[in-house]
Amino acid sequence: MNSLTARIRESLVRLLEWTVIILMASLVLDVIWQVATRYLLKNPSSWTDELATLLIIWVALLGASVAFIRQGHLGVDFLTNKLRKRHREMAAIAVQALVVFFAGQILIYGGIKLVLLTLLTQQVSPALGIKMGHVYLALPISGFFIALFALENIVTGLRRLRAKSHTD
Amino acid sequence: MDASIVILIVSFLLLLALNVPVAVGICLATFVTISVTLGSAEIAAKIIAQKMATGINSFSLLAIPFFILSGLLMGRGGIAGRLIEFASALVGRFKGGLGYVNVLTCMLFGAISGSAAAAVSSIGGFMIPEMNRKGYNNEFNVAVTTTAATTGLLIPPSNIMIVYALVSGGTVSIATLFIAGILPGILFGFSLMAVIRFTARARDYGSEESASLAQIWKSFRRAFLSLLMIVVVLGGILRGVFTPTEAAAVSVAYAFVLSVIVYRKVRTKDLPEILLQSGITTSVVFLLIGTSMAMSWILAIENIPQTVSTALLNISDNKFVILLLINLILLCAGAFMDMTPAVLIFTPIFWPAAKAFGMDPVHFGIMLIANLCIGLCTPPVGTCLFVGCGVGKTTLAKVTPKLIPFYYALGVSLLLITYIPAISLAIPRLLGLN
Repeated sequence: MNSLTARIRESLVRLLEWTVIILMASLVLDVIWQVATRYLLKNPSSWTDELATLLIIWVALLGASVAFIRQGHLGVDFLTNKLRKRHREMAAIAVQALVVFFAGQILIYGGIKLVLLTLLTQQVSPALGIKMGHVYLALPISGFFIALFALENIVTGLRRLRAKSHTD
Repeated sequence: MDASIVILIVSFLLLLALNVPVAVGICLATFVTISVTLGSAEIAAKIIAQKMATGINSFSLLAIPFFILSGLLMGRGGIAGRLIEFASALVGRFKGGLGYVNVLTCMLFGAISGSAAAAVSSIGGFMIPEMNRKGYNNEFNVAVTTTAATTGLLIPPSNIMIVYALVSGGTVSIATLFIAGILPGILFGFSLMAVIRFTARARDYGSEESASLAQIWKSFRRAFLSLLMIVVVLGGILRGVFTPTEAAAVSVAYAFVLSVIVYRKVRTKDLPEILLQSGITTSVVFLLIGTSMAMSWILAIENIPQTVSTALLNISDNKFVILLLINLILLCAGAFMDMTPAVLIFTPIFWPAAKAFGMDPVHFGIMLIANLCIGLCTPPVGTCLFVGCGVGKTTLAKVTPKLIPFYYALGVSLLLITYIPAISLAIPRLLGLN
């Protein structure tokens, strides 16, 4: 059972990482194509800069969820480093709880509201005709992954705390 | 109105103290403040989600992921070795030569890559052991590398300038900021070299073999393709051939050709990991930008920048005093906070006060960035300092005393940059940029 969840977790992380890799690569090729059409073919393409700004929203938000998995976001650990180990672990759990709240309230709830509102106003990107509501789906989707992995961190953190208090 | 300022500041500081990721801290403090002010958590969530999505939806911000990516490619592509060779041929012959080589290499690296932390690890990784071998003090070497690496943030291309151009509300162009940073970056570098000169005399450090013109030429040719990147990017932007975003994309293509095909230091199978790494670094910056956009919205609604400006102008109406005050506050903030969030948070707050007595926004931005560069090398929180200690296998407590003369040097440079606008503005004006 445990190895199954571990495997599912592993493949989810892989999936997210490869999505970011492919999006980044597309972003680079897209803007290089823009430069090429403008200077080499003298026939600037009309959709490349628009596609780039849509891609970057997805890179930024999905990349953010990978950064949360890898604990890569900038924090200020000056005060918590001065705490005793047990208290530091409790603070870390509190932080993960706040991350879940952030993901749930802002990215998922606020994001879904934004998606619905934008779909309602039928806002589309001018050159490509993509519904902006669909672009903004990046917020709730990223929020889902961030919340999921933060919840996992909370569970492992709590387990570790309980195991420690038994051995003490 | 006063209540909301207090709520914002207190909740933000509490969240930071708990070591919440800064972007989440900005977001949640903003959420609490908007919820209280507008009386609805639902509306607050909607507004923040919208500000985040629209805040990062910008073509000029796209230069950031590209410069990050080309920096990673160039960093792994073996440019550090070539730049060090070139710098040694030029300045190795002086007393304390390896110190100068270190600073000059960091400045050249900064003109190619622009990530200060990457400069510390890739140049320090080579220079610190080499300097140790030649009898230089290890902690001194870490101090040199750490401070020298920050020059890269003033020397273009520089992602933090793109962030500043965004938060300054589109009043300054990225190209102008890039050019404005050149002289301040060189000033920073020279002031560090001055400290090295004194230390080298006091401790009787040696010098490297003097290179002949032929050797200099040879090392220049070996570094030529790396240095050409500077010409492609800056020249392209300056002559209006490329927008900064296009120049950044071209620099990715150039870095790819150089590191994968010419130098062959990066293998094709390393590319996914490099793309992922740049995507993650980008997202950290963009999440900060998105959440800060929401925060500056509530700041503006609550008129907080005007309030701060009035308060500062009440303390004194002397331009010199106010700029000194702003610098002192920023130095304190920079000691605890990383550069990107500090620029995002403090630009909207302090800019109205500086604007009130007619400061140029380009000059203000350069002052802000120069100030926060120092913060990257100060304890308790300093990204460059942490990386430097890791590379030099030493501790903050041991390095900090060696850093003090460098703080003085950078402090003097900061004062010069603050009070002599020409250091930032002369070259852009000469080139006819606004």
